[in-house]
Amino acid sequence: MKPSNISAYFVLHAKSYFRSRSAIFFQIAFPVILMLLFGAIFGGTSYNPGTLVVQNDSPSQVSWGVINAINDSGLFKIQVLQESANLSQYIVKNGITAALLIPANFTSNILSGGRGYMILKGEASPQVANSNYQILNGVLTEVNYHIENVSQKLVLTTAVSGTATSKTVNYYVPGLIGFTVLTTMFNMVYQVPNYRKEKIFRQFSFSGLTKSEWMVANILHSFAMLVLSDVILVVIAILVFGASLVLTPTTILLSGVIVFMGLIFFTGLGILAGLVSDNEETVSVVGNLILFPMMFLSGVFFPLAFAPPYLQTISKFLPLTYFINSLNSILIYGDFSTLLVEMIALGVSSLILFVVAAKIFSWKQK
Amino acid sequence: MSAEVIEVRGLVKKYGDLVAVNGIDFSINRGEVFSLLGPNGAGKTTTVEILEGVRNRSSGSVTVLGEDPEKSKSLIYRLGILPQDFSFVYNSTPVEALAFYRKTLGSSTDIKQILEEVELEEKSDTPYQKLSGGQKQKLGLAMAMINDPEVLFLDEPTSGLDPRARRNIWKVIENLKKQGKSILLTTHYLEEAELLAQRVAIMNKGKIIDSGTPMEIVERHHESDRLIIRGDGNIETMIRDMGFPVRRNESYVEVNLRNIKDATEIVNLLYEKKANFEDFTLKRESLEDVFIKMVGEIEEDEAE
Repeated sequence: MKPSNISAYFVLHAKSYFRSRSAIFFQIAFPVILMLLFGAIFGGTSYNPGTLVVQNDSPSQVSWGVINAINDSGLFKIQVLQESANLSQYIVKNGITAALLIPANFTSNILSGGRGYMILKGEASPQVANSNYQILNGVLTEVNYHIENVSQKLVLTTAVSGTATSKTVNYYVPGLIGFTVLTTMFNMVYQVPNYRKEKIFRQFSFSGLTKSEWMVANILHSFAMLVLSDVILVVIAILVFGASLVLTPTTILLSGVIVFMGLIFFTGLGILAGLVSDNEETVSVVGNLILFPMMFLSGVFFPLAFAPPYLQTISKFLPLTYFINSLNSILIYGDFSTLLVEMIALGVSSLILFVVAAKIFSWKQK
Repeated sequence: MSAEVIEVRGLVKKYGDLVAVNGIDFSINRGEVFSLLGPNGAGKTTTVEILEGVRNRSSGSVTVLGEDPEKSKSLIYRLGILPQDFSFVYNSTPVEALAFYRKTLGSSTDIKQILEEVELEEKSDTPYQKLSGGQKQKLGLAMAMINDPEVLFLDEPTSGLDPRARRNIWKVIENLKKQGKSILLTTHYLEEAELLAQRVAIMNKGKIIDSGTPMEIVERHHESDRLIIRGDGNIETMIRDMGFPVRRNESYVEVNLRNIKDATEIVNLLYEKKANFEDFTLKRESLEDVFIKMVGEIEEDEAE
């Protein structure tokens, strides 16, 4: 592989690319539009306002009675967290908007005739926090009347964090970065059959450029374009929607490595899909057949935690899942604990696909 | 240094049951323009693509500049190729395309000079998709010339072009010929081959049915020269009286000549007898006439 050939094609491709308005639109403008759209729609909301995580540090008949009463109201789906778990960390890691902490002195206070204080925690915008408080307080007032016909036996206080009001926007940043990487696959799905039909690959072969050099030059070009579009994406997420991402030299560098590995995978996949698409009519069918299931099953636009277990199992076989998960881990939580496994899964699948694509893809006429 | 730059022996290319090239032999000398002629589907392009190394042969031996194009990786740097249906990256300009080729082929040729040679300098920054058919072919030719190749493969370089654009391309090929380049030219324009090539081979259905200089082929296959005279009915009688076979068409008479001197004799007689004629034309059989006859004969034989 000659670096001079790679750079020659990189320059040729980049110059012609910047003359294509549609390419610029889909590479840069379209993800930005999606960011603005998702940010505007979901910027201040949570994923599932009906879920209430409960940590009962004062287990007793009284406290479980209250929890059951809340559950019976049907307004919240109760999810009980173990006493040993760290509720604050759990909220941060899982983007929980509503969590009820029943403190250790709750039962003793009630039994001694005092008030039972409970704390509503979570990470949500003021509007969502207020809604949750009002709904839960309404349920507790009802419970109070049932207990002794008094209104102030159970008291709800709130400690909802306002610092991470853009949690949903945070979530969409890695998803949209994943989307921009996916679009490079689409470029290949269209380009390969088109270049074969127009015999442009044959023309490349007369130049001494090899198919591997062509693939590498494409990956490098796409990487440069992705860096550009993803930087714009992140800047908009931060400046317009107040996203709070963990942006340190390490997380930025690792994100770059992950994006690069993803690009290798999707370039290879795009070439293989392009080889299957022997005419223009089948190109979009093949492209969409790969794009949409992968987009939705990998958690690009919604969290996989909400998907049924069988879909979660399927998603484990999709490299894009590891791509999104690893970006989520480092950009949102600054968490590197699972990164190695995710990067190995992504790296190995990318390498395999690249080699297979380079092997099957031929510039020779049959 | 070998005189032969291309040598083809017993070349066969099969696609399943279809034999596209059926055991052909030919060679091209250094500095020679050699033309492969034939109707569509004769196997010209398949042959050329095998020589270029973009297609593998079924059997036979092929050497280009002493190397097997199927195996050699360095041969491409010594060749210039203008393929049939030349196409390139739509949004790239001629300057960018040539810069790309120059870099990958390790050439130091001046891009501006090449563009001037093919008369494309005014369109040097126009995206490929906005070039006319003739301009695209000129770009293809310029790309084939950028590495100052020893051998050029020009596969139907003027196909689909208007007469003016065709003549422009011919001019460039004439220049290459003067520079002593070895050129394999495939065409189905017989006039082109007759004008540019020193030797031709006529292909039909995968086989070479004749080869030689255009003159040799015409001599081998032509029947007779004809004299065409436009004038009144008396001319026909006068010529017949002289003992020449004559055929009347609507506005002219056609005489089959035994030799070229007969033409002078007939015309002189018509002047002497003050015959009423408008003009006359001596019609010699061209390579095209011979080609049509040869290819047609084969098809007729097969039909029978």
